[in-house]
Amino acid sequence: MTGEKKINIVLAGQGNAGKSSAFNYLTGLHQHIGNWAGKTIEKREGTLFFKGHTIDVLDLPGIYSLTTVSVEEQIAREYIIRHKPDFVINIIDSTNLERHLIFTLQLMELECPVILVLNMSDVARRKGIEIDHDKLEKIFNAPVIPTVASHGSGMARVMDKVIELKGQPHTHRIHPYGKEIEQAIGQLSGSLTGLSLPYPVRWVAIKLLEKDGEITRLVGEQDPGIIEEAVRLGGMLEDIHGHDSGIVIADERSHIASRIIRESVRIDPVRKTTLSDRLNAVTTHKIGGYLVLILILSGMFLAVFGFGNWLSGLLGAWFGNWQEWWAAHVGTSFIASLGWSAIEGVLALIQIAFPYILPFYILLYLLEGWGYVARISFLMDNLMHKMGIHGKGCISFIIGFGCNVPGCLSCRIMESRRERFLTAVLVTLVPCSAVSVIVFGLVGKYVGLWWAAGLYLFAMALLFITGRILSRLLPGEPVELIMPMPDYKVPRLRTILSQTWDATREFIYIAAPIVIVSGMVIQAIDLAGWMPAISSLLSPVTVHWLRLPAITGILLIFGILRKELILVMLAAYMGTTSFSDVLTAQQMITLAIVSMFYVPCVATISVLWREYGWKKALMVCVLETVGAILLAGLVTRILDFVF
Amino acid sequence: MDRIQDQKSLNELEDGQTAIIVSINGGKQMTKRLADLGITTGTEVKIIRKTLFSGPVQVEVAGSRLVFGRGMAGKIRVKLT
Repeated sequence: MTGEKKINIVLAGQGNAGKSSAFNYLTGLHQHIGNWAGKTIEKREGTLFFKGHTIDVLDLPGIYSLTTVSVEEQIAREYIIRHKPDFVINIIDSTNLERHLIFTLQLMELECPVILVLNMSDVARRKGIEIDHDKLEKIFNAPVIPTVASHGSGMARVMDKVIELKGQPHTHRIHPYGKEIEQAIGQLSGSLTGLSLPYPVRWVAIKLLEKDGEITRLVGEQDPGIIEEAVRLGGMLEDIHGHDSGIVIADERSHIASRIIRESVRIDPVRKTTLSDRLNAVTTHKIGGYLVLILILSGMFLAVFGFGNWLSGLLGAWFGNWQEWWAAHVGTSFIASLGWSAIEGVLALIQIAFPYILPFYILLYLLEGWGYVARISFLMDNLMHKMGIHGKGCISFIIGFGCNVPGCLSCRIMESRRERFLTAVLVTLVPCSAVSVIVFGLVGKYVGLWWAAGLYLFAMALLFITGRILSRLLPGEPVELIMPMPDYKVPRLRTILSQTWDATREFIYIAAPIVIVSGMVIQAIDLAGWMPAISSLLSPVTVHWLRLPAITGILLIFGILRKELILVMLAAYMGTTSFSDVLTAQQMITLAIVSMFYVPCVATISVLWREYGWKKALMVCVLETVGAILLAGLVTRILDFVF
Repeated sequence: MDRIQDQKSLNELEDGQTAIIVSINGGKQMTKRLADLGITTGTEVKIIRKTLFSGPVQVEVAGSRLVFGRGMAGKIRVKLT
């Protein structure tokens, strides 16, 4: 392969512009998904072979602007400046052209070669938005190509353009700011020419006037005098406009975008009310919206758990006699038993991943592709805010009901580190499908369904209170919800399946090694005959405080692996599945409460560790274990008055 | 002449009302973030939906829908058109 046939492109744009669809269409199965070094933000790369060229495609995280507010934005601009991709493909939502052009203007300031892709052009046409592409091309002096990325239409033209223009110098038109701003930029640029910075000079000057923290620091290290000059010039702008100079520039950029729109876009004055508009009105209505939400979510849970219980039962029956087969053919030696526990871990993962997690993700991505997830965030924002996080956190909770592992991973959609951690901790308190097995198999079956439902309410109340307390304790300010409300659209099966596959694969990659290894460790402890010693060591807590049988200590240790093992091992140690013979109703409720809230399972712990460091992961484990034990002991004493 | 009485917070408007932004009294970061989304003084906004108990508001700006948290909406002063 010759060097000149290799082309690097990056996809950049704001959220909801169809960047993921474009990326999936271009790269198909040739994708690699990882993390940005040292960051918990997904890095998606892929390769496309097109007309004899190898085109490397990188999907930059979705962003609002290129002024550092969030990590995503910093990653994007650093990448563009340092790696100098051959082309930045700016994916733009044609139906929200004005807002997206503000970002385009910022991209152009980075002085990189940009191709404007006006995506969702079909929807724009339907809405009566007529965009003059030739005019836009002239305004920016950059290629403008309309596409419908979800169908792939227009994407080949984008790639043709990439090949055609490769190696040619670009001459994008700079859109000047107001006179006084340009004077300040000119003066600063003059002073900056002596410095050695990897960035375009005009861009640095603009960033200094915008008081960008990172750039101010970098320039300040080389010449503090320039910072003083920038502060002085910024002060002059503030005197003229009465605002912070950063806001003056952002305002001006927004006005430039409006002007470009006036020159190049004609909107049908009779704005048609679309089906999407009507659906939006119903699904975000102050009362009707919540009814729809309850219907959709309960439908989703019923479908997932109905299907999951059926498939998991089927798989369980199928795997049922494998252990006997193993014992008969491989043996029951120490090593053979360890081997079996590794296999058992894999089988258990399969019984969680396929019956529960896969269908859960399919439905969730279906709702997302349709546009409903943003409505959930909107409707739940108020309640979530009382826990110190905004509406988007609700999505992580919903996922957490299926499994805490993907629930914690999904906290990445929150903007700040504080909110990510806060959301993740709260997700660990959400009763996952494994915990539901205990709640329904023990309390629901032997004490009553209302008691089981009560435990769920109790869990929600505890989650709410913990959120309130934690949001006060954690330093930092809560971030306000601000998000675009996308149009409803017909979800694309291909996108849903690829997102589901990615997410399920990530779950297996993260959970499998840790579940297998820790399963073998616990099995070894058991085989070594240390379990009775451990349970008697824990008996002051289990027997005296929780008033449970002494073997509870062992159950809780197995439960760290996977929560439903508490029930499985209870049956194994008691030699019966008729739990009402061995436990009183009071004990069942107590055991269920401990199981629900004590340490998250080992796979969830590993996610907390990976994303937030071992100190925070350990802190969560210790606090939740202590809290759960204290709480369950108190509840059991209160229940004295009931039973 | 604008009288201060004509001004309201964005979250005091009702569904379907249209207004012009008069001032944004949030912090620097919020104001900038809004400007990056094309929302500055002089921008016309239409309330599409509010939630119960003065939660977030859903607005239409330049043909696109956006959602603001309640705190943010409270800091945006508008004048009815």
